[in-house]
Parts: sequence; C-alpha cells; structure tokens
Amino acid sequence: MATVTLNQAEKTYANGYKAIHGINLEIQHGEFTVLVGPSGCGKSTLLRMIAGLESISDGEISIDDKVVNKVAPADRDIAMVFQNYALYPHMSNYNNMAYGLRNHGHSKSEIDSKVREAARILQLEDHLERKPSQLSGGQRQRVAMGRAIVRQPKVFLFDEPLSNLDAKLRVDMRLEIKNLQQRLGITSVYVTHDQVEAMTLADRLIVMNGGVAEQIGSPIDIYEKPETLFVAGFIGSPAMNFLPGKVSDDRTHVVVGDKVKLDLDHDVEAGRNVTVGIRPEHFRLCGDDAGPVSASVRMVESLGAETLVYLDFGIGNENVTLRVQGTHQFAKGTVLKLSITPDMIHLFDTETGKRI
Amino acid sequence: MKRVQFEHSAVPYLFVAPQILIISIFFLWPAAQAVYQSFLLEDAFGMSSQFVWFRNFEDVLSSSSWTRSAIFTVVFSVLVSVLSIAISLFLAVRADEVVRGAKSYKTLLMWGYAIAPPVAGLLGNMLFNPLMGDLYMAFNSFGFEFNHIENANDAAFVVILIAVWKQVSVNFIFFLSGLQGIPKSVQEAATLDCKSPERRFWTITFPLLAPTTFFLLVINLTYAFFETFGIIDVSTKGSPGGSTATLVYKVYVDGFLGADLGGSSAQSVLLMIMVSVLTVFQFRFIERKVHY
Repeated sequence: MATVTLNQAEKTYANGYKAIHGINLEIQHGEFTVLVGPSGCGKSTLLRMIAGLESISDGEISIDDKVVNKVAPADRDIAMVFQNYALYPHMSNYNNMAYGLRNHGHSKSEIDSKVREAARILQLEDHLERKPSQLSGGQRQRVAMGRAIVRQPKVFLFDEPLSNLDAKLRVDMRLEIKNLQQRLGITSVYVTHDQVEAMTLADRLIVMNGGVAEQIGSPIDIYEKPETLFVAGFIGSPAMNFLPGKVSDDRTHVVVGDKVKLDLDHDVEAGRNVTVGIRPEHFRLCGDDAGPVSASVRMVESLGAETLVYLDFGIGNENVTLRVQGTHQFAKGTVLKLSITPDMIHLFDTETGKRI
Repeated sequence: MKRVQFEHSAVPYLFVAPQILIISIFFLWPAAQAVYQSFLLEDAFGMSSQFVWFRNFEDVLSSSSWTRSAIFTVVFSVLVSVLSIAISLFLAVRADEVVRGAKSYKTLLMWGYAIAPPVAGLLGNMLFNPLMGDLYMAFNSFGFEFNHIENANDAAFVVILIAVWKQVSVNFIFFLSGLQGIPKSVQEAATLDCKSPERRFWTITFPLLAPTTFFLLVINLTYAFFETFGIIDVSTKGSPGGSTATLVYKVYVDGFLGADLGGSSAQSVLLMIMVSVLTVFQFRFIERKVHY
C-alpha cells in the first residue's frame, strides 16, 4: 500500500505540445482512482508519467512521499496492465509472471509459490505451461494481471485493460478487477474512456479534458454535481441535455426557447443567460395532467428495460432526450407532458461553462 | 470429406512454365552436366574424354589443396556470418534507440546494400593497396607488419573484412525491421519488470528477434559460400598460394583457369552435397528453437 502524490505535474513533448497542464492530486492508501476522458485528453500520458515510461517535464510525482521523477520504472515498485496485454510471446505464462520476480532477485521457491498463488486466484493453474498465444483474450488479460499481482507492488497501473475484450467478458473482468483490488488493498490508478467502467470501479474519479483535470471527486458527486459543462456532458449516458435559457425577472424560473418555463430555486441574478442541463432520466412523465412542459415526440428507441424518447422542444433541430423506465409506444408527433423538480436542474454559465 | 476438384486445365502449367524453364536452363541442366562431367577425365585440350567413375572424387578428396580450401571456407563462412550478424545487430539496436536524426543514421547504414560484391572488392583493393592504400598504411604505421600479399592470415583478414562490411547493411535492414516489429508495449512491460537494459536485451529483445536471426544465418552462410566469389576474385584472387580461395573460387580456378573440368565438376558436386546437408541441418535443428 502506498500514496501517490502529483504536485503540479506537467508534460511537454519535444515538439512543444503540452499534453499535461500542471495536475495536483493526492491518491490515498488503497484507493482506486480512475482517470477518464475522451481520447487525446492526456489520461494515458499521466498514467505513463507515474509509471516512468514518460519523463516528467515539470513538477513532481511521489510514491509514498519519495519523489520518483528520476527513479527508473523498475525501481518505482509499480506494476502495469496494458491494453494489448503486452505479454512476452516467447515465454510460457508461468515465466511471464515470474520474469519480474527473477529480475528482482527472489529465490526460486519464493517465485514458485507466488506465481502459483496468483494463478490460483486468477484460475490460470491449468495454463501455466502454455504460451500466451494459446490463450483467449480474457485469459491473456488474466496472465497480465497475474504478472502485476505477483510483484505485490505499491501501486497498480491499468491502461485501458478491458478495451480489447468483448462486451460480456468486459463486465466479468470489471467485477474481477474490483474484487481483486479490494481484496489486495493495493493503491490503483486506472485509465479508461468507458464511463461505465469509470463509475463502477472508482473510489475517486478524475475527469480529464485537454490535459487538465476538470473535476475530481467520487463518481456520485460528479454525476450529481458536475462542475463544468464538459463533465456534465461526458459523465452520464445518454448524455445530459443542454438547453439555452434566460433567467426570468423574478428569478423563479428559467425560460428555454420561447414556450418552455422551468421552475428554479437557484440563487442566480435575473435576466442572466445560462445553459440549462437536464439529465434524460430526470424528467417525469405527467400522463394527461397538465405538466409544465409539453413537447412532441420525434423518435423513440426501445431498449426493453427503458425507452429513450427524442423530443422537439422548439429550439431548432436539436433533440431533447427523455429516458423512461419500461416500454412505451409513442407515435411520432404525440405531445407529452413533462415535469422536472428544480433540484434536478443544472445551470451553467454560457460563457465559462462553469456551474452556477 | 470430399476434396475440392478443379477442372484440369493447361493454364496453371502455362503460368509456372517460365519459372520452370529458367530453373531448368540455369540450374537443373548445368547441375546434371556437372554430375556427368565429374565422372569424366578429359585431356587438356578437350579433344577426348574417358569415363572414370569416382576417380575425380578420390583425387579431390585426397588433395591437400582441396582440404585446405574446405577448412578455409568453413572458417571464413562462420566468421563472416557471425561477425556481420553481430555487428549489424548491434548497429540496428543502437540506431533504433536514436531519436534525433534517426533517418540519416539509418540511411547511411543501409547504403552499403547498393554496392555489388565486385565493387566492394575493388574498394578493398584500393584501401589495402601496398603503395597507396590507407588501411594498409595505417596498419603498418601502427606497428603491425601487415602484408596481405604474402601473409595468408593477413589476406584472410582482408577478404573477411570486405565480406563482412558488404553484408552488414543487408542484415541491418532486416534487424531494424525485426526490432520495429516488437510491440512497444512489450518493451515497456519489460522496462517495468527489469532494470538492466543488457538483461532486457538478452531475455526479451534477442529471443523475439530469433526468427530474423535464423533467417539471416541461412542467408549469410549462403552469401559467404557463394556470393563472396566476386570479392575474392577482385581482391586477393585466392592468393597467397590459394590460402584465401573458398571452395566456389577453387572450382572456378581449377575448372576454367586450370582446364580440369572433371576435377572441378567433382568439386562442385561435393559443394552441392555440403550445402544440402547444411540447409537440412539448419532447418531441422536450429529452426526448432526459434518458434514461439
């Protein structure tokens, strides 16, 4: 177990491109931290900086209060699981797991017991003598996990470890990783672009965009109180609806388009232009009773457990997504009555994108 | 299960015909001719010949000059192959690590590939010319009593140097592409697992290059056996006293210069057998160890 501290960590490439803009972060003992963001946001670069595969241009990274900027990757006491497994193709699975231990001068019997223990945990006992090429994708990823856990490192680093697996296997492995991490209690940093992985695995979530940590917090905090428009749009699926609005003169509601009025209980000055954010699951269908909002149906997608309805709010061609439980049949053009409680409305400054 | 049957047609045979024709004219026919010739004893003017069974072979095998040439060929081939593989592997690994100006390094190292063996021999000739050769002068000014015209070892050094230099660029290209075929993440995983770059090279990089190395070993042995003819012919011509004549060069000297067609044919048949055995050995025993 260990802490990882990033103090104004920066990365500038030789061509002058700044991939990471001064990130501050403190990861606690045994904490599972997930870095999430769109491709090119710098999340993998940051992970590789912690691993020592990328140099740190400015600032400091410490593991257990020891600055590791100049420490070789092999001496940082970390283990990494790669997206494409990165197993050594010429070695048996046993040797793949034993390789790191051998280089760190462990005794033969010690290595053997550690590898067999890891193989038992990961159900790889029958595959130890085989080579990685003889295994399926899921088994290979297990060997890669095994290679990481036999080292009993201070920190686990995961670089999109599940993106090469098929959907079902991904769910299984996700649970397995969570389970394993909790059991071993090893501090972990996990990079993904998949928000389901991010939400389910993280003790703490870091949403990155353009080399900056947009928001750091627990997954539920981030879902309930996104600090910026970017975070609001990135976390949650289907994505949050954004509508241009103007706060009414008496500050009791916000006017969206020319006919929709939503009640507010935010502390915001009158007449201000804002971006209104509403999650698709936070609308309520009011049946035939007069709800405050009425909108006509443009398209319906039935997913079985839930139905996604795309609505015309009278603001150009943009759809507003509504998510309702169960199956519903709505004909195109049907007018639905909706309501929304004021505390489910997010307001953002249109200029800065910051939460109001 | 029934096999798929294609309609018999002459078209496929037509497509392979040019290749078969080329192999027949330039390989099968001369090879058969050589086997036939090796059983004949011809007079010096080529007027008459006599069927002598294996006498040519007996003569060749009992001649000390052939034995000496055979030993030289083996030593020469092993040295040329091992040295050129080792040097080019070293260069490829270093060039692969270079970040700034990588292209220029690689291009310069590949350049030698474009040089024909006789031209390489000519370059060697100039460098080792006793009157004006830079390397000849340099060696002697350092205090070596270097004289490849009279000293057999010095002459061998010259042909090996030229042959290795010529081959390094070929091997370099293959090793470089082999290195670039190793996934970057595997190298990175190794950096996390092993601190020492040397150990990482021998435990990860080198085993992953084994198929390339094996392929190059076959190519280089063949090169040392046959293609160095041009280099030897231009630089030493087998001198002093036939000490730098490989078996192939000796076939040429005895057959075309010495006009002993029977003996020279017997030598080339022996050479063919040796190469076949070597090839079978390589694929049987070495290739087995490189697959993963």
